[in-house]
Amino acid sequence: MTLPAIEGRALSRTYGGFRALDGVDLKVARGEVRGIIGPNGAGKSTLMDVLTGRAASRGGTVLLGGRDISALAPRARQRAGLARSFQKTNVFLDLTVGEQIRLAGRCATLDNGEEVLVALGLAEIAHRPAADISYGDRRRLDLALALVGRPQVLLLDEPAAGLTVEESLAMADLLKDLARRWHVTVLLVEHDMEVVFGICDRITVLHLGRLLAEGTPAEIRSDPRVISAYLGTAA
Amino acid sequence: MIIHILNGFVYGGLLYLVAIGLVLIFGIRQVVNFAHGSLFMLGAYVGYAATAIAGFWAGVVAATLVLAILGLLLDRAVFRPLQDQDPIVTLLVTFGLLLVIEDLVRTVWGKDTLTIAMPDLLSGTLRIAGEDFPVYRLFVILVAAGMGAGLTLWLKRSRIGLYVRAFASDPLTTGTQGVDTERVSAAVVALGAGFAGLAGIIAGPLLALSPAMGGSILIESFIVVVVGGFGSFSGAFVAALVIGQLQNLGIVFIPSFSTMIPFLLMMLILLWRPLGLTGRAA
Amino acid sequence: MTSPATLTATAPARPARAPGSVLALVVLGTGCLLPFAGASPLLLSLLVQAIIGAMLATGVGFLVRQNGMVSFGHALFFGLGGYVLGVPMAHGLLPPEMAVLLALLVPALLAFLLGLVITRIPGVAFSMLSLACAQTFYEVVLKVRTLANGDDGMSVTFPARLFGLDVGLLQDPRSMYLICWVLLAAVLVGLWLFTRSPYGLLTLAIRSNEERARFIGYETVVPRAAVYALSAGVAGLAGVLATFYNGFISPDMMHWTLSGSALVMAVIGGTRAVWGPALGAVVFFFFKEIVGDATEHWPAVIGITLIVVTLCAPAGLSGLLARLFARRAA
Repeated sequence: MTLPAIEGRALSRTYGGFRALDGVDLKVARGEVRGIIGPNGAGKSTLMDVLTGRAASRGGTVLLGGRDISALAPRARQRAGLARSFQKTNVFLDLTVGEQIRLAGRCATLDNGEEVLVALGLAEIAHRPAADISYGDRRRLDLALALVGRPQVLLLDEPAAGLTVEESLAMADLLKDLARRWHVTVLLVEHDMEVVFGICDRITVLHLGRLLAEGTPAEIRSDPRVISAYLGTAA
Repeated sequence: MIIHILNGFVYGGLLYLVAIGLVLIFGIRQVVNFAHGSLFMLGAYVGYAATAIAGFWAGVVAATLVLAILGLLLDRAVFRPLQDQDPIVTLLVTFGLLLVIEDLVRTVWGKDTLTIAMPDLLSGTLRIAGEDFPVYRLFVILVAAGMGAGLTLWLKRSRIGLYVRAFASDPLTTGTQGVDTERVSAAVVALGAGFAGLAGIIAGPLLALSPAMGGSILIESFIVVVVGGFGSFSGAFVAALVIGQLQNLGIVFIPSFSTMIPFLLMMLILLWRPLGLTGRAA
Repeated sequence: MTSPATLTATAPARPARAPGSVLALVVLGTGCLLPFAGASPLLLSLLVQAIIGAMLATGVGFLVRQNGMVSFGHALFFGLGGYVLGVPMAHGLLPPEMAVLLALLVPALLAFLLGLVITRIPGVAFSMLSLACAQTFYEVVLKVRTLANGDDGMSVTFPARLFGLDVGLLQDPRSMYLICWVLLAAVLVGLWLFTRSPYGLLTLAIRSNEERARFIGYETVVPRAAVYALSAGVAGLAGVLATFYNGFISPDMMHWTLSGSALVMAVIGGTRAVWGPALGAVVFFFFKEIVGDATEHWPAVIGITLIVVTLCAPAGLSGLLARLFARRAA
């Protein structure tokens, strides 16, 4: 069996006595699109933060392609092949779209970034400052910034948040397409169930900081624990 | 040695009175008042003028009250209109005020140093551990300690104090709790300015009055605020005492470099904890 | 109307295109001709001071532009350039050439080390710290009388030649004017090239969104410290030039009134263009000449100007000019 693309062991995090994440294990195979769902406060964003090093895990280990990256700072994890986007769009408002893609791709010319810009439909607005582009474009720019470094594993925190229904579906198609085209392993935190069940290979359900269930979309949809804790109330 | 430590408390107490005003204003308005050292200096000069007319105690009252009123004006004319702007704007404006106030005082009272006479009541000395220690210095320690205790009680017990503490630690969620924010802010800024004025007049008999006297205390108050962790009341208290001691020992043993000591301490602490001792984001 | 927040918050103007460089060349050339066009030594001497001020302001403004940080203590680096040059020269501690090189390097080096600590601190607190740093050193040069006579300052005499060059050239208004003018132009071009470089882009990105910069794989403290060092180096160069020209150093070179004036010049000129603060400095010096009689109240004049410009024209002159040209082009 090949090594998982990313693995977390016993990840925990408390915020002032509140256990945001409580001994979560996670194993994602190479090339998989994994959805992470759960009600608010389930620990989804905390999991993202702990995996990328934005927040420190109390104990526990993060392995990227079998390599222990627990002690690395966010930028070193990024250089090791772990990229992320943010729940609140997190781009460089003062820079043009092209400039920040160039910076994130670490290339002197736009050539390498060009592919990403075209793939995400940002090529036409490459010369515009990010402050002047639409919200939907910013979400895709956020994604592009994460993608252009050619990561092995991509963590996406609610990429469809704030988008209209059509935009969300387009985003879902785009993600599926990108994951296949660039063989990226994707971890996707998302509230939009249509997006999650539509494109994920497997789904992890978190509840109150713990792992509640894990399985294929069909298994999750019929899991009684998930239905009572989450899907039942959301649907 | 005890004498040195007591002298450290004298300076630490003055530092606390000035720094706590900065912390109060930072907590309620999220801005740094660069003119705070000038308020200290102005307190000394107002006290000087009032002392000349009606004696030292009138000077103390006048300096505190006049500066508190100036604090109200400062909040009304500067902090309040600029509260929605980038905090840097307020910084630039208060820095401008600093230069103006210094010049104003120089014009009114001249640039030569002045002195305030100690009140007769406090002019004696007390024998402590075999050495003479001026009663006036004990008085300064007591005033600072009393004000500190009073402020702490007020912050802990009163409704407004509770609000101020809550606001200082989380301005976003505390903003809407049925308290008249503007009036509380004005009161708190007035309190901070009043403390600076009080510190100025009681420091008067110990220091020579000059228009530039606000400079070094402002800088050291900054260091206290940074070391104590931005906006922390208890952090500022501890930091003021520590820096008061260090500064005083520095003056005794290496006078020329005494200002370097608090500075180096600050750098070390920032290396260790970038957000100061009590470590809360500004 | 732009809000004062634009001072630190908005995108810097896009780099100028060809007409900009032509204009720059014309300004540079005209400036070089001035001494030959019958300008009096008095005017040239005044201009030397103005250009030195412009260089200091350029350092302060560059830090705002590239790091988003407002320094209230750049006089530290100005004064340091002067003291590192003047003190060894007067006490014969170092070979004079060595003192010159150190005077050019030490301010940037100190700023880099300080910067590793204090540029990690956000906005307003950084401003406090920059002021605290500067005043601490000011107190030292004020109190340590053996260094350079403390409060009284000290005159510095130079050897007749340094690096084989006649030092007299640095003290004659005509030649010094030309030297300063060309150096200022070189500094501005250098900084402008920096802003266009990939590293310059990185520093702008860090200014814009430091966390995101870390998450696309960049270390963010060293670039911030590097910008601080660069801006301090420019201030230090200004201090070295001032010391050569005046032959005198005093604690005033490190006082916050000077830091404040530099900031006023930068704010008047606007920091979004690299050349804005230099323009502001020149305007400021003419303003100072007009005020003339009131120079006794100079600190108050600086203070009031700072308040008025901050509140009424936060984008500064360069911002106003940029808007004017943008409107005409549209």
